[in-house]
Amino acid sequence: MENSNSYSPYSSSSVDSTKPSPSESSVNLSLSLTFPSTSSQRETSQDWPPIKPRLRDTLKSLRLRQRGYNTALFVKVYMEGVPIGRKLDLSTFSGYKSLLENLSHMFDTSVISGGTRDRKHHVLTYQDKDGDWMMVGDIPWDMFLETVRRLKITRPERC
Amino acid sequence: MNYFPDEVIEHVFDFVTSHKDRNSISLVCKSWFKIERYSRQNVFIGNCYAINPERLLRRFPCFKSLTLKGKPHFADFNLVPHGWGGFVQPWIEALARSRVGLEELRLKRMVVTDESLELLSRSFVNFKSLVLVSCEGFSTDGLASIASNCRHLQDLDLQENEIDDHRGQWLSCFPETYTSLVTLNFACLEGETNLVALERLVARSPNLRSLKLNRAVPLDALARLMACAPQIVDLGVGSYEDEQDSESCLKLQAAIRKCTSLRSLSGFLEAAPHCLSAFHPVCHNLTSLNLSYAAEIHGSHLIKLIEHCKKLQRLWILDSIGDKGLEVVASTCKELQELRVFPTDLQGGGNTAVTEDGLVAISAGCPKLHSILYFCQQMTNAALITVAKNCPNFIRFRLCILEPHKPDHVTSQPLDEGFGAIVQACKNLKRLSVSGLLTDQVFLYIGMYATELEMLSIAFAGDTDKGMLYVLNGCKKMRKLEIRDSPFGDAALLADVNKYETMRSLWMSSCEVTLGGCKRLARKAPWLNVEIINENDNNRMEENGYEGRQKVDKLYLYRTVVGTRVDAPPFVWIH
Repeated sequence: MENSNSYSPYSSSSVDSTKPSPSESSVNLSLSLTFPSTSSQRETSQDWPPIKPRLRDTLKSLRLRQRGYNTALFVKVYMEGVPIGRKLDLSTFSGYKSLLENLSHMFDTSVISGGTRDRKHHVLTYQDKDGDWMMVGDIPWDMFLETVRRLKITRPERC
Repeated sequence: MNYFPDEVIEHVFDFVTSHKDRNSISLVCKSWFKIERYSRQNVFIGNCYAINPERLLRRFPCFKSLTLKGKPHFADFNLVPHGWGGFVQPWIEALARSRVGLEELRLKRMVVTDESLELLSRSFVNFKSLVLVSCEGFSTDGLASIASNCRHLQDLDLQENEIDDHRGQWLSCFPETYTSLVTLNFACLEGETNLVALERLVARSPNLRSLKLNRAVPLDALARLMACAPQIVDLGVGSYEDEQDSESCLKLQAAIRKCTSLRSLSGFLEAAPHCLSAFHPVCHNLTSLNLSYAAEIHGSHLIKLIEHCKKLQRLWILDSIGDKGLEVVASTCKELQELRVFPTDLQGGGNTAVTEDGLVAISAGCPKLHSILYFCQQMTNAALITVAKNCPNFIRFRLCILEPHKPDHVTSQPLDEGFGAIVQACKNLKRLSVSGLLTDQVFLYIGMYATELEMLSIAFAGDTDKGMLYVLNGCKKMRKLEIRDSPFGDAALLADVNKYETMRSLWMSSCEVTLGGCKRLARKAPWLNVEIINENDNNRMEENGYEGRQKVDKLYLYRTVVGTRVDAPPFVWIH
């Protein structure tokens, strides 16, 4: 019975030696697909009915628009060094605090915004409308929702 | 045939193209096995973990086209966690090292990286066709590599992929001298598109037959594109807002009228209600219409469009068309072969856009119907029995009643009899999805009558292990069985271990299968990979007194000739 403890995306016989050693492969990828307390805000499950993600997103936006709410705002979230990202609907969060809590839980690490940058925490950054990478937390939440395009959780030393 | 030289036999084999047939002829004798091996052009691998690239190359050294499928089907519905597997990189690396003259690569549910695409683009001089369906892991940078390096590219077909759109200039990476484009589908890209580059590309592609645009291509650009490519057969419209600019509309209508070869229409990702009427002039030639993303278009506009589409063979639509709309389809589209009706209201309750009446109307009006996917809020046994009588020719029948465990809404009975009638009448049924309130009885019928069934999807159904056993014992041609949220456990799983060697795969999630049962299965069947996916309870799934009875979240097992895969993430245990 094999229980591999390290995650290697490729079979060991064909690892490309020019690729940087995936030290981030020690990141635990056992991500929970169900959100914590904020998931109670979600009315539908993510896996029923059996429709593809694209249609699910389209219908969700439509439903929210029809009810006069702001459109769902799905953005991609990457953890630096991990090639495969997640998608997050920012419209389900009330503000920065719930966003950070959710991300910390999702990526199983402590994620903070701006402010004190000690070495222990990952820092959340975002790419805005102009394509620039900025620290999360400086502008009001509503303004943030209008300008954010994607999120990245960076390694602490980078900022 | 023994008296013919090999070249003659090989020439005869050229006419045999289906994978099943080629597999059969390769088994006739050693000589045929050898000839077939060297002459096989198209290789199909339904499960990328059933075999490895080295074995592929040893058996078929001369193939030109490879189809690979990775994740199990339920991955489409978020049931397979990120990082599970299905990486194409080792395959491309191995093929690049070999001397295979790869011309076509078709991937479904695989993880593709920019690095993979770059390597692909540089390794095969005659590479012509890239088709990616429901893949993820790459960005427009990878597309730029393909555009830059594949001199003889004909097809770039991206269907429903998760692509990181860097809003780069991948379209302008096609060299000015490049004129061989036949298919270009980038509808799934979310970002901006370089319209100038796109128009120039289309203008210098006289062989362009299929063009599917993303939502960033507006109305006036569409008109110009269609004016450049009146030979187009298959068009995916991107964004189509109700622009008041009448000049743009007129230009578009004029351009559309010239597209006399247009047979297939899709897209309308952001479409205003009135936009469809510009396409009425070409509707009478359409054989395929996909409006399943046109969520904002009211049923009445859909109906007006469909009334013109008398030759339609394939229709994908949202349930906003309503039963009345389906009646129009039934009376208009006499050539209809395939229908898919998708839901717009995921909550259930309230909105009853399509019901059993719509399904019955279609079955009565469309004699050539053989494939259906139907999402609805309610169903009755009587309706299903009528459908079975009207349409004994179903090859694919997929019914999804949105509310789990929902009974016949008139009689409150389970829907066993309805589905039973379907499997009994439809002797050629290859694919079936069941839903609603169902007992073990429906599986008795399936096991008894669905002799040709190859793929079965079960959700929230059945009472005891007997249900699953009826299916495993009865359906001799079963290849893919996927089950979720149903009370089937170890007894059913372990009853006939050899059965799984005749199948491609079995998926069971949120059932009653235990870790102990899975381990017993793995011991009995070393030719299987028994994968257990447990996202939350990594630490608790260990050797302790309880393990025997601990329920397994997700089980995915498949036959393989290459043993345990080495690229599984920590949350996947393979026995």
